[in-house]
Amino acid sequence: MTIQGWLYLACAVLTAQGLHAQTGGDFGDETALYAETKQVNQFFRRFNCEEGRNGERFYPGNPLYRDPEFRLGYLDILFDGQSSSISPEDKQEFIRYVCKPDLPTYLNFHGGEWLAEVNTRFLYEGSERDLTLFMRLEADRLGYKWVIDRVQFAPYLKRFSQRPAGETEFLHPLSHELDFMNLSKVFRSSKDLQGYVPAGYEPDQLTLFLLDVAAGKLTFRTVTNMRFHFFQVQGWYFELRDLQRAGYNTGWLITRLERVSPEEHTLLLRDIYHATR
Amino acid sequence: MQRNINGVRPLSLFVLFFLFALSASLQAQQPSPQNDDYISPERKKAIDSLALEKVRDLSKYIAIVGDKSTPFSEADRVIQRTLELFAPGSEMGVSSVNSTEILYYGVRTYLERLMQLNYDRVEIEWYNIQYISDLERQPDGKYVGVITIYQRFSGYKEGYEGNVLLYKDTTKKDITVYVERKETQIGGRTIGFWDVLLGDVRVTETRR
Repeated sequence: MTIQGWLYLACAVLTAQGLHAQTGGDFGDETALYAETKQVNQFFRRFNCEEGRNGERFYPGNPLYRDPEFRLGYLDILFDGQSSSISPEDKQEFIRYVCKPDLPTYLNFHGGEWLAEVNTRFLYEGSERDLTLFMRLEADRLGYKWVIDRVQFAPYLKRFSQRPAGETEFLHPLSHELDFMNLSKVFRSSKDLQGYVPAGYEPDQLTLFLLDVAAGKLTFRTVTNMRFHFFQVQGWYFELRDLQRAGYNTGWLITRLERVSPEEHTLLLRDIYHATR
Repeated sequence: MQRNINGVRPLSLFVLFFLFALSASLQAQQPSPQNDDYISPERKKAIDSLALEKVRDLSKYIAIVGDKSTPFSEADRVIQRTLELFAPGSEMGVSSVNSTEILYYGVRTYLERLMQLNYDRVEIEWYNIQYISDLERQPDGKYVGVITIYQRFSGYKEGYEGNVLLYKDTTKKDITVYVERKETQIGGRTIGFWDVLLGDVRVTETRR
């Protein structure tokens, strides 16, 4: 953490202690609650420097609204200080980039380029199974809503796992001349049609999910975890997670930071969607 | 040729205008300061106070319902009052320090479970901190926000030497708040007002 970050944190803690004394509460670690980034909404506000140390909202016109100096202190405390996977050089470079005096970068709640990964548990074929929902915000009529954009479910992947087609599993290239009459044999003899679909075919897991929920094959149990993936800062990717632990470096924090080229952006997205965590 | 171009140009402009209008209508419509349903920073502060008042009422009612000395009829009446704070269908999602699993209860079920707990006295203390999110507009035009509060719950049982602490926990409560512009008739005049209702509540036990 930089000197500015520590100074900022110290100010926040002292302010909190002042308020604590004024109101006469008796909870030892209230100061930690002030420091905690309590909501994703607060992460946006702190990242953009749109709120004061006690959470009061800064609106345009307020001298501290998006103030570059004030913002530097905020950005520093928004990282997971215990993560060894975020290099200090990358972190400083990222902060410098988003605070560029001539072209600063701010996060935009409605700006797209960020998504939620929600780990859930469903009852499926008699046992509880983990299923991941990827969600994004979508404009609709007078406002916005979260929508399920993708689904990742291990049983679906297993069911459609790629295997080489057997020696006789194909429709010969002149099948059309016979009005595809050989389809009759295909559907009579085989339930597995992998040899008859394009190489690299990938099932649409969202459609399978919708069908299984409608058919009562999948029953929702609970949400077990969640994280957010941000691509809003050009050339960078970061992951946001809620870290509940003792101390001041808690709440919604950046737990992963990577530089990404446009090509790496696509690969990383593919990795996020397909990775089995 | 010239005549052809001249004939096409107004059509192209019309198509362009149509596409622009369509794209604008597909985006969520943001209320402007001229609209009645625009929430200015001052109005937001007033709505925040109203919402916090409802959250405090909720907390007060939970303490009454959980207290064994509260007669059943009184507890039942308070449960009814509590339900009036909430939008229909609201739920409490509860998780403990020992499990990441969230259990979901309807508000009435949550309160009835609380009533069945065997405490002679219940104390709910507030931390001097709360966080109130921005208000976001949802597709039906209502606004939604989240208030985060921290509370310490203590359940006591009467013993020979006074009350004995049986159970305590500290919870973070993320409370949904719905804000809607409504109108009412008073003395023949139409008066607009902002109505605030509580919604789903996520209760996270942070420590015991």
